[in-house]
Amino acid sequence: MRATAPKTPPQQPAMREPDEFDRLYRDHVDLIYRYAHRLCGESESAKDLVQETFLNAYQGLKDFRGEARVSTWLYTIASRACIRMRRKRKGEPEHELSLEEFVPTSEGEFRLQIPIDGLSPEEALQNKELRQALDQAIEKLPRKYRMALVLRDMEGLSAKEVGTIMGLNERAVKSRLHRARLFVRRELSARGITHRDDHKSGGLRS
Amino acid sequence: MTKKKTAVPKKMSKPSSHRHSHGQGHCVDLLRQLSAYIDDELPSNICREIRRHLGACPNCEVFIASLQHTVTLCRHRPAPQLTSVERVNMRRAILDAANAR
Repeated sequence: MRATAPKTPPQQPAMREPDEFDRLYRDHVDLIYRYAHRLCGESESAKDLVQETFLNAYQGLKDFRGEARVSTWLYTIASRACIRMRRKRKGEPEHELSLEEFVPTSEGEFRLQIPIDGLSPEEALQNKELRQALDQAIEKLPRKYRMALVLRDMEGLSAKEVGTIMGLNERAVKSRLHRARLFVRRELSARGITHRDDHKSGGLRS
Repeated sequence: MTKKKTAVPKKMSKPSSHRHSHGQGHCVDLLRQLSAYIDDELPSNICREIRRHLGACPNCEVFIASLQHTVTLCRHRPAPQLTSVERVNMRRAILDAANAR
């Protein structure tokens, strides 16, 4: 991402960049939209983030040195753009999640469950109530924790890659991820979603 | 995480939920390591200790199951896709914005 001497002859830069950009866009727009939607939680903000990401990528393409994977580079641009855009919109104030707040204070709280036993994840997520609870729990996460959760558990990146993208060491990534998972677990289990009898129509079986 | 060797007692009391000792620190220490356990990042001896604890502590067993379920649901959470029209429109908007700058 740092400036470097152009590798190609300078006589046709205007031709080279659009071609490269089109390839970059074609190969990665779905990936970045998926990431953006998972971060933003809704379509319009996600599209804004995708546009901002690729606009920045277009302008930085000639300086991309290929030291990181292209997808890592784009994830990084998108993550930074997301932070900038949220600041502009005066989004939710960031707050820290401490491990202590996730320590159950009662036995009942300790034993709260998420009803997916015996179901595949896909079957479980056909339960609208559970799916909405998951969406809302992720939406409620402070951004820096949500970003770690999305990149690691949804995008499937390694802790090292997430660290590169977020500018953190692996230990910090794992710490944020753990708190994020505990937060979502608490939100989901506290909703008291139970097994339902309408499995055939998409609910959970009892 | 720095207390890996002592985080989980090798011998737990009876597996009675009434004698659950999370207030005394055993289960709290376990709670700190659960993601690393789920992600298979802990040394085998620590994993063995955790499994032994889970076998003796129903509350922690339920807790880790719900955390594992949480991770599984996150990994399989569906994401919407762009339509081809949206892809084309966004590309045009990006290039227009780039040329305007």
